[in-house]
Amino acid sequence: MNTTKYVKTLLILLVVFVAVSSTTSAQNLEEFEKKVTEFTLDNGLHFIIIERHDAPVVSFYTHVDVGGIDEPKGNTGIAHIFEHLAFKGDDYVGTTNWKEEQKVIDKMDAAYRSWLYESYKTVPDSAVLNSKWEEFKSLQEKAKSYVKNNEYSEIIDRNGGTGVNASTGSDMTDYYLSLPSNKIELWFSLESGRFLTPTFREFYVEKEVVREERKMRTESSPTGRLFEEFLAVAFTAHPYGRPVVGWNSDITATSIQDAKEFYKKYYVPSNITIGIAGDVDPKQAKKLAETYFGKMPGKGVESPPVTTKEPEQRGERRFDMVETSQPVLMIGYHGVSETDPDFEALSLLNRVLYSGRTSIMYKSLVEDKKLAQQIQYADGFPGTKDPGLAVILALPNSGVDLDTLELAIYDEIENVKEGGITQDQLDRVRTNLRANTIRGLANNMGLAVNFVNTHVSQGDWRDVFNQLDRYEAVTVEDLVEVANKYFIKKHRTVGRIVNAES
Amino acid sequence: MKRILLLFLSVLISASAFAQKRYDQIKYPELNEFKKADVEEFTLDNGITFFLVEDKELPLIRVNVTVRTGGLLEPEDKAGLASLTGSVMREGGSVNYPADELNELLENKSAYISTYIGFGSGGASMNLLKEDFNELLPVFVDVIQNPDFPEDKIELEKIQTKSSIARRNDNPQSIASREFQKLIYGEDTPYTTQTEYATLDAITREDLVDFHDQAFVGNNMMIGVIGDFDTSEMKRKLEEAFGSLDAGTETNLLYPDIKYDYPSTVNLVDKPDVTQSTVFVGHIGGLRENPDYAALQLLNEVLSSGFSGRLMQTVRTDLGLAYAVFGNYSSNINYPGIFYVGVMTKSSTTAEAIDAMLVEVKKLQDEPVGKEELAAAKDRFLNSLVFRYDSKNKILNERISNEYNGLPSDYFDQYVEDLKKVSSADIQRVAKQYLKPEQVQILVVGNAAEIGDQLDKYGTVNEVDITIPTPDSGEEEVAGDATQGKALLDKMSAAILGNAKPESIQVKGTVSQVTPMGNMDIGTDVNYNYAEFSMTAEMNTPQGVMTLELKDGSGKIKMMGQEQPLPPTATGPMYAEFETDYLNVSLKKDQFSAEFIGTEKIGGKDFPILRISGDNTVTFVLDPDTFLPAKSRSSSFNPQKGANVESVTEYSDWKEVDGFKYAFKQISMEDGTKTSETVVESVSVN
Repeated sequence: MNTTKYVKTLLILLVVFVAVSSTTSAQNLEEFEKKVTEFTLDNGLHFIIIERHDAPVVSFYTHVDVGGIDEPKGNTGIAHIFEHLAFKGDDYVGTTNWKEEQKVIDKMDAAYRSWLYESYKTVPDSAVLNSKWEEFKSLQEKAKSYVKNNEYSEIIDRNGGTGVNASTGSDMTDYYLSLPSNKIELWFSLESGRFLTPTFREFYVEKEVVREERKMRTESSPTGRLFEEFLAVAFTAHPYGRPVVGWNSDITATSIQDAKEFYKKYYVPSNITIGIAGDVDPKQAKKLAETYFGKMPGKGVESPPVTTKEPEQRGERRFDMVETSQPVLMIGYHGVSETDPDFEALSLLNRVLYSGRTSIMYKSLVEDKKLAQQIQYADGFPGTKDPGLAVILALPNSGVDLDTLELAIYDEIENVKEGGITQDQLDRVRTNLRANTIRGLANNMGLAVNFVNTHVSQGDWRDVFNQLDRYEAVTVEDLVEVANKYFIKKHRTVGRIVNAES
Repeated sequence: MKRILLLFLSVLISASAFAQKRYDQIKYPELNEFKKADVEEFTLDNGITFFLVEDKELPLIRVNVTVRTGGLLEPEDKAGLASLTGSVMREGGSVNYPADELNELLENKSAYISTYIGFGSGGASMNLLKEDFNELLPVFVDVIQNPDFPEDKIELEKIQTKSSIARRNDNPQSIASREFQKLIYGEDTPYTTQTEYATLDAITREDLVDFHDQAFVGNNMMIGVIGDFDTSEMKRKLEEAFGSLDAGTETNLLYPDIKYDYPSTVNLVDKPDVTQSTVFVGHIGGLRENPDYAALQLLNEVLSSGFSGRLMQTVRTDLGLAYAVFGNYSSNINYPGIFYVGVMTKSSTTAEAIDAMLVEVKKLQDEPVGKEELAAAKDRFLNSLVFRYDSKNKILNERISNEYNGLPSDYFDQYVEDLKKVSSADIQRVAKQYLKPEQVQILVVGNAAEIGDQLDKYGTVNEVDITIPTPDSGEEEVAGDATQGKALLDKMSAAILGNAKPESIQVKGTVSQVTPMGNMDIGTDVNYNYAEFSMTAEMNTPQGVMTLELKDGSGKIKMMGQEQPLPPTATGPMYAEFETDYLNVSLKKDQFSAEFIGTEKIGGKDFPILRISGDNTVTFVLDPDTFLPAKSRSSSFNPQKGANVESVTEYSDWKEVDGFKYAFKQISMEDGTKTSETVVESVSVN
């Protein structure tokens, strides 16, 4: 942005004067300073403890700064497979004899890999293939004999745990759990167990479960197919173009050995942040953290960053998928990462365009022109750690031509680029941003997730509130400027589902 | 020295207190006591009952109105009325706060107001910063009391609902749950009534107004308020704001009985664009009011409680057959629930997964649940009870839900006591009594070609037709005069054909298609063979030459060396147009029935209207002097629009070719808007 410093200062003053409750963020921050305790273990593992004693329950959130973009070539989906395996227990939970089980698992993996390598030969020897496969299968059966099926989940369930879950994205892998607050130590025991001594138990059966997940979310869903295709078209170099769930052949190719290497590189203390929110004593939590996570190896080890930058796009990219389902339109512009100085302006611009009934697109496309049944947007798709896409997903009303809808969207974007935004519109989305930040402070898991993610992306949980001040500083002129900077045709990808009958 | 020893000891002790433990070595302290939120209850003269809970954690207030109404009450031929009423109440704004003004007012303050009507209840809610409460409470009441229901917003909601009807077969999970409910409850019950194009068209503004007026009255309302306020002050504000609402009459929600005789059926919805089968297997379930309710809930725990449930352990973890596998014997309060087990598995393992699930169901009947498994199931339930009350909002919602459903205030405590007493024998007994794994209905939504004959072993497979019904044309069918019609058709045929009988012709020309990006000219070269009823059209599009072929009742399209068959839904309208072509009708006039249905004034003259019906129907408006068609008119359903579309073609520039006449200029319109103009360059007989 090239507004001069002088003008900018004036504008900030003006905005602060106009904004009714910009003090809320400061008040909230002051209150939370009293409730939040932070510490980093010697090995680099960071904890954020948020006290909230309203009810005797606690939520735990483990954030690992690894996702689809960190995966080695040929192993897409490995971050997600590892996430599934984290529910198999450790060297005590889930096994009747870890020492023996471990030996069999290693042999089983060796057999699988030799089967795999044979299968990749130009002319695989079918006898070798068969014998390797049989060997693998019989070792898999043997390994299974040591397994206590789902013991990890059973222990949590039996102790009243709820919301046991995990998710893997392009940027991150997250693990969630809530427990009655007298069971805090149980979480420390189980969580440290699975991340300090991962077992890779039932690895190959779980890969089939993952394949079913891929079929459900991607292959059997029209929009799932569209998203996968869209990212592959929009990114040529950056790994945001790859599916987090993995390509089918990569799921096949991934072995336990690959997963172990992945674990060693990325599940190191400096790459993990844990949030605990609820009825928790921070002093006790700190002692437990030292006891259970203090000896996690990997002190001083830094996970390798993603080094590839997406090169500038040289022309608009378009594709149509002819399907039996109803039409869908998806448009994406290359945007910025969450630490870019333009992030706040671009995010506010998208809200002015798409968020709420008074937004520009809703009023024009849904209400007035009646072209769209639904119009949704995302700021950083599929992630925000590196520059992602600002995407629009629009469902045309029946009988509305996709071209008509697309051109109507561009009309509104062009209008904004020419200055068609008012101060009222900007103030409104800021008010909503501020109020919704407050609304998000009302539950334990929400707090843990929000504070930890902000710590990871911005370096400090306080940025949950401080970021609101940066939003205050954005002007209407800034919005017009970022619209002209980012919403340009040659940086655009357009993907459509076209109905075969139309 | 002694002090040092003591210090050392204390270090040891504290260290041991924090030594690492396995999960089974940990001693848990008692759960901290906590006070459940107090709920203040009071009722106004007009029947509204309020439930207030103070929650000062954040500067917010939420108001939730529950209304005794529901889609259950709507007439079958106006399906969708309840839901439409619920959304237009908010989208259309109120008498004093029109939609645009309302939206700005609320969004300027980051306040939310929403309204809805579901199947068995309706409601409204407001969520705002406490500083805006006094200003926005009257707005909220106005939305509830005086919704404006403007016609244009009703129309908008209808368009949107129609668009979702068009999309309802896109997602396999939603097809599966919808069609499975139909199998269990039957097609003609309110439990499975579906909103269709025709039922939406039948709904008027009057219907919405009436539906709202019956529902949103004091005697039907319960209101929960939670947030940062002072109770006595809040009571006063609520009395003032809601006191003027009509008391009305309490709505009686009658849930019709269901007849179910446990048929065994196998049903398949073919969806060629998926790689995975979505499966439901089951039969009717039960009612909440049942002495065996607690035992059945524990049965559910054992069968399908997440990763601890048997279905997940077997079908997912052991066999790797699925990511999603689920099941439940559901017990509803007002009408029977459904018993089902379900899975999403790759096409090739559809039967394997069904069998694996049924084994687990039968096991519940054949073997008692082990002591440890039962204890674990009870622990899961009892130890997680604290999450039921971990926020004041949950306590308030449960209280209102109990009141709405007429459940006693201690019903949940009683249920917990019942549950503690359930034995293994109880679970086995209810499994035998309520589950009938031999008499289940199976529904698979999947790729029939990939599934193959896997389902045959369960019985005859019914193919379920999920085609979306199209509305009637809406035109009154007036019987015309057949004698006059016959005479007119003869005249038209003679005018067009003269003495010629062209069996096959070639027409070259240019079609100027109207598109959002301006007119697009397409050179066309079409061969019509009326004797064989086939055609080949070559089109010069900007993307290259495209060839369309209609022959033997099917059609295909060729482009850039690629050939693709066209689905019947695409070829249908093309054949219809071909059949009703004036040359085809003239040549085969004996195969059509003809009626004279009136006249139309064009340029001061009365033009006779001739209706021609074969497989399709078309009307020709004939020039009274030449008996050549001035225009033709047909109506057909457009699945993209979700409505019938009237197509009109105007013919002019008639020229003689080898003895017969051909219109060298044709202008096509859809619903009054010009869509294309065709200029013919040459016509020749093959």
